[in-house]
Amino acid sequence: MIDEQTQELVLQYLLGELEPSQMEAVRTQIESDAELQTFVTEMEETLGSIAYSVQPMAAPPDIPQRILRAEKGPVRPVPEARRSRIAAFNFIPWALAACLAIACILLGVDRERIREGLSKELAALRETNAQTSKALAQLQQKSADSEKGIAAARERSAGLENELAALNQKNAEAQAKLSGLKQKAAEQEQTLADLRQRDADSQKELAALRERNLLSEVKVAILKAQVAKYQQANGIVVWDADRRTGVVQLDKLPPPAPGKDYQLWVIDPSQTLPVSAGVLSVPSVGLIRTSFHPTQPVQSAAAFAISVEKSGGSMKPEGQIILVGK
Amino acid sequence: MTRLADDPESKFEASLISRIADGDESAFATFYQRLSSSLYGMAYRMLNDAKEAEDVLQEGFTYIWRRAGSFDPSRSTPFAWAVMIVRNKAIDRLRVRQRSERLRERAEQSLVQQRDESSAEQPALRERTAIVRSALQQIPQEQREALELAFFGGLTHEEIADRLTAPLGTIKARIRRGLLKLRDFLQEET
Repeated sequence: MIDEQTQELVLQYLLGELEPSQMEAVRTQIESDAELQTFVTEMEETLGSIAYSVQPMAAPPDIPQRILRAEKGPVRPVPEARRSRIAAFNFIPWALAACLAIACILLGVDRERIREGLSKELAALRETNAQTSKALAQLQQKSADSEKGIAAARERSAGLENELAALNQKNAEAQAKLSGLKQKAAEQEQTLADLRQRDADSQKELAALRERNLLSEVKVAILKAQVAKYQQANGIVVWDADRRTGVVQLDKLPPPAPGKDYQLWVIDPSQTLPVSAGVLSVPSVGLIRTSFHPTQPVQSAAAFAISVEKSGGSMKPEGQIILVGK
Repeated sequence: MTRLADDPESKFEASLISRIADGDESAFATFYQRLSSSLYGMAYRMLNDAKEAEDVLQEGFTYIWRRAGSFDPSRSTPFAWAVMIVRNKAIDRLRVRQRSERLRERAEQSLVQQRDESSAEQPALRERTAIVRSALQQIPQEQREALELAFFGGLTHEEIADRLTAPLGTIKARIRRGLLKLRDFLQEET
């Protein structure tokens, strides 16, 4: 089976379109291929037949005579004077003919060599052509593979882009949620700050209330002299009923006589006897301030009193009451 | 399938060529008489110039006279062989002359007036002409057009592609397919 490319090459050969070197190569190929030779014969006959389609025209009838006359050439008589001279050189044509024959042989040999060389070159060209075709087929295969790879990569890329778009969407939603949460957190922070403020306010209010309550629990009593000797002396007692403790401040009270001590008492109506709040240390005349704690539990401090007792104090008031305050 | 080389006309013409190769002038004259009108018509169709067609005919037959011995009847018919010889001579002229297409068309119009009806009256030639014309009419117009430009116009495939503003590959395919169909039609007819 002759491929289309070879058929077209042969037709160009028959139509005389090829270069001389190509013509020779094709001729060699035709001579070595019987099938191709048959095809060439058929095509040449077909091409020749096309000439039948032209309307015949009367050709000049004397052309054969013209050709034959030209081929034979004019017969010119040789002058007598030259004949003897020509006879003397009769060997020249033979010598020329011999040279010509030798030249023809050499040319023939050379032609065979050239033809052989061309055949080899043609074979090499065919081999190169086959290799080129093979390489081209491989390249086409690689190209097809590459295209498949590119298509697959594009598909993967499209899939990744879709995934990325979905992730972006989720991220946007998460950002929106985060923003909402931040907003809520800010609101809660604000609420917390408000609550803290309220708490602080409440604490302040509570402190104020406690202070007011404390004040309500605190009893203040002014101590006044009950004896003329201690007319100049005065004092004040602050009693914390809640904590059951107090502070006494005395002024201008002279130090007690030797072997004597001043003793503070808390008068509690629920008890029959005043409750001792301890001996007061008065080293000199001046301002004295000291805290005290009753020796027994006090339900209600109705009044306070200071008496002169024996050194170290008494269990109950036995000496003179010099200062009293309610 | 019958080859054209097997028909009696071709065999007789092959014998004439064989005699021409031996220097038989009368055989040469007979061969000329049988083929010259078709070959001259073809040369005129190609060149559109009577004088140049005559020169080409003379060059072609000179070649036949000198190279009759190279004819191989197993490879070609005498007619196809002679056609290719004369056509090649005409193409040589065309390519040297590079005549314009306008001149060619103008001359084609006068071709009708110079037809040789007497030659067409030869029964074998007339029959062959009718067969080929019929076969040519059966191939697609675009293939016939490309084929005629190549054969009669002597244009190369590239020149035809330029003229018809078609790709070179298309022109090659048209000529190849056209010739294959023409071959099949002619083989059926013979």
